[in-house]
Amino acid sequence: MTGRNLSHAAREIAFGLGVAALVLVAAAALRYAEAAEILGGDGARRAMQILVGLVLAAYGDRMPKAYASALQRPCRGGRIQSVIRVGGWSMTLAGLGYAALWALAPLAFADVASMALVGSACAVLIGYGGWALAICRPSADQSL
Amino acid sequence: MSLVFKALADPTRRRVLQLLKERPMTAGEIAEHVDIAKPTLSAHFAILREAGLVGSEKSGKTVTYWLNASVLEEALLAFADTVGVGLKPGRQRVAAAKKEAAS
Repeated sequence: MTGRNLSHAAREIAFGLGVAALVLVAAAALRYAEAAEILGGDGARRAMQILVGLVLAAYGDRMPKAYASALQRPCRGGRIQSVIRVGGWSMTLAGLGYAALWALAPLAFADVASMALVGSACAVLIGYGGWALAICRPSADQSL
Repeated sequence: MSLVFKALADPTRRRVLQLLKERPMTAGEIAEHVDIAKPTLSAHFAILREAGLVGSEKSGKTVTYWLNASVLEEALLAFADTVGVGLKPGRQRVAAAKKEAAS
């Protein structure tokens, strides 16, 4: 592992730990607010889900940078790059949509629609990624 | 973040990033699409690398560049391109006319 890869890995771990700490602190604060009757049960639930959506969006935003080293793999036409970009965009938009649904929609609708949204983003990523990886197999790469 | 804004403020650098959106390219391939001297292009690459918007790998005499932008940075690139940030007023009109003609 080169020094550049190590510092990149250290940055990713630091980001992950920071996000984990934020979620734990937010959960504890919301639990306290709920117990002290500052927030109703629904308010605390909405706030936590909005945070989850924003965390998903933040990870989606970083996805193209985090997997940039994969671009050094030989594959014609920049397929890997497009998979990473499509994945990043779909996860970021899904995260923002998830947060918006939990902020604005009725709870029963947000519960179902937010899951459907994230599920669709995962399906786009897996479907597009699978198709592109099939094209990027060494044998397929040579035949292009 | 100010490095990113500085990098995106120049139309030539934005053109390079748009080219790299298609696929990783060598410096020579990019130079074919951009009508400027190679030393100037190298200076643009240095600014893009410093901002973390492109990655590069040297293999022999060839340097390959790839897009290393986050989703937000890519959205900023699209916005700067749409608004025409960094273009002089006259060139902005020419770019808008070209866009209109193309559509």
